[in-house]
Amino acid sequence: MTTTIQSPAAVGTSGSPAAGGPGPRRRKAITIAAARPWLLLAPALIVLAVLLLWPLVRVLIFSFQDYGLREIVSGDTNFIGVDNYVAALTDPQLWSVVLPNTVLFAIAAVLCTVALGTLVAILMTNLSRFWRTVVGSAIMVAWAMPAVTGTYVWVWIFDADNGIVNQLLMGAGLMDEPFNWFTNRWTFYLIVLINVVHHGFPFVAITVMAGLLGVSKEMLEAAQMDGAGPIRRFFQITFPSLKQVFTVVIILSTIWDFKVFGQVYLMPGGSGTNRSVLNLGVWSYVESFGQNQYGFGSAIAVLLTLVLLVITIIYIRVLMKEDEL
Amino acid sequence: MTPARVRRNVIVGALVTLLLVFTLFPAYWMMSSAFDANAASGSTGLFPSELTLDNFIYVLNDGGFAVFLRNSLIVAVAVVVCSAVLSLLASVAVARFRFKFRTSMLLMILIVQMVPMEALVIPLFVQVRDLQLLNTLLGLIIVYITISLPFGIWMLRGFVAAVPVELEEAAFLDGASWWRMFRSVMLPLVMPGLVATSVFSFITAWNEFIFAMTMLGGASDKYTVAIGLKQFFGENSNDWGSVMAASTLITLPVMIFFIIVQGKLSSGLVAGAVKG
Repeated sequence: MTTTIQSPAAVGTSGSPAAGGPGPRRRKAITIAAARPWLLLAPALIVLAVLLLWPLVRVLIFSFQDYGLREIVSGDTNFIGVDNYVAALTDPQLWSVVLPNTVLFAIAAVLCTVALGTLVAILMTNLSRFWRTVVGSAIMVAWAMPAVTGTYVWVWIFDADNGIVNQLLMGAGLMDEPFNWFTNRWTFYLIVLINVVHHGFPFVAITVMAGLLGVSKEMLEAAQMDGAGPIRRFFQITFPSLKQVFTVVIILSTIWDFKVFGQVYLMPGGSGTNRSVLNLGVWSYVESFGQNQYGFGSAIAVLLTLVLLVITIIYIRVLMKEDEL
Repeated sequence: MTPARVRRNVIVGALVTLLLVFTLFPAYWMMSSAFDANAASGSTGLFPSELTLDNFIYVLNDGGFAVFLRNSLIVAVAVVVCSAVLSLLASVAVARFRFKFRTSMLLMILIVQMVPMEALVIPLFVQVRDLQLLNTLLGLIIVYITISLPFGIWMLRGFVAAVPVELEEAAFLDGASWWRMFRSVMLPLVMPGLVATSVFSFITAWNEFIFAMTMLGGASDKYTVAIGLKQFFGENSNDWGSVMAASTLITLPVMIFFIIVQGKLSSGLVAGAVKG
């Protein structure tokens, strides 16, 4: 797993292959060697600068403007200072609907995804080769299901009229009439949760399993000899040696679950018609492309980006502590 | 077997069964409805009462889904090829060379990877419109290359760094040029990583939804599968047979792809995403 650390000598050799030649030729070779990383980086950097960094700057600029349909067509600017941010931050909807939906959902989804992924990883390490392949392929199927089709399938499963869940619940005598799961904010997000966990836990399972296979067998055996039970062994040996894996998995899941979009937008009422199920991402999109308030939508997008930036900084600090970049 | 062992096997067996049901049921239900003659009218049981291909024939012919599949394939292939080349070159630079601003470059790549699509969709919509590429596949291809690039660079650099430097030195001692070394030493060794990143950029291009919806909104003949699917939903929202048949057509290629590259994908993830 040590992939990045190289000895300085090795780096020098690979960086200037022509070292040792005669004077002028050598100088030329060094110049080429110094330019080479930039030549290799140039195409990617140009694409990233034009289509990622500049748009990021632009969304910030838009967020300080009253950027509506007129401006988007004409390209005019109409700066209004921080009005969009004031409007977003003083909108009661933000505090009573959007933020709780975004934050509570992210917390619940991360907890469930990581817990289920870890349990599956532990289960898989205890299986025979054959069953491990079977379970591995099955979770690949869950992982491979695109978010768009996955969402439609879960909507169909919970469909108010003919969904299998309603049919089973009524068949079991637990309900008298079909229930519409999508109008209520809590049951709406329950379905989003099942959908996101179903799609997201395979990544956690595979990553944690790779980490588990790397845990020292000798230490586990020694602990068992000393009389430590499986739970104690897990929390005292396995878990500490997986700390790095867990940190990364938790932070990545947090970032993904904070910006869940399609899984909400594609559900009945999720595209803005049922405002009680809005989250930050959908709110930004609906205000921009639904209401033509691109400036206001940009301000919300900037707020979402800032939240994710904070999480990313934590992520980087954790990575930096462990490994040189 | 000892009683304790039997008990353990029963528990493990029950857990595996539960897990298989949870992971596989949505895929099963999707396909079962897609082949069910009665799914359109909404009467369904756990097993299709009457198998049929009508749902597929309908979405491919009348629904125009064949065109959407073709569009998505064009976009995905173009994105895979371009982002593989760009991210391989860039990852060699950051993994093999020490140069000024290298760390800041890596941090930038890591940070842009976290940017939410919602923040990019507004300015990119304006940008693509200014380039007169709205409602074209080319506009979408450029956008997808950009969003799959940071992840590709980040993941591939682990693979590039893992290539033993001694092999490179040996190639140089044999008189190979840098490009020669790159082609015959580096490239074969980073192939597994290239496969893994290509899978991810393929999936991005195949599944992406927000940008496709925003940028192809005005031309239904340019729809990709992800937004083409929406057509069968909504107005005649009871036609679950069509929605599920179209979903099956979208999902199957990805699933087959994932299962084939399962091993490489896991090692790629561990080498790239986790360890950095």
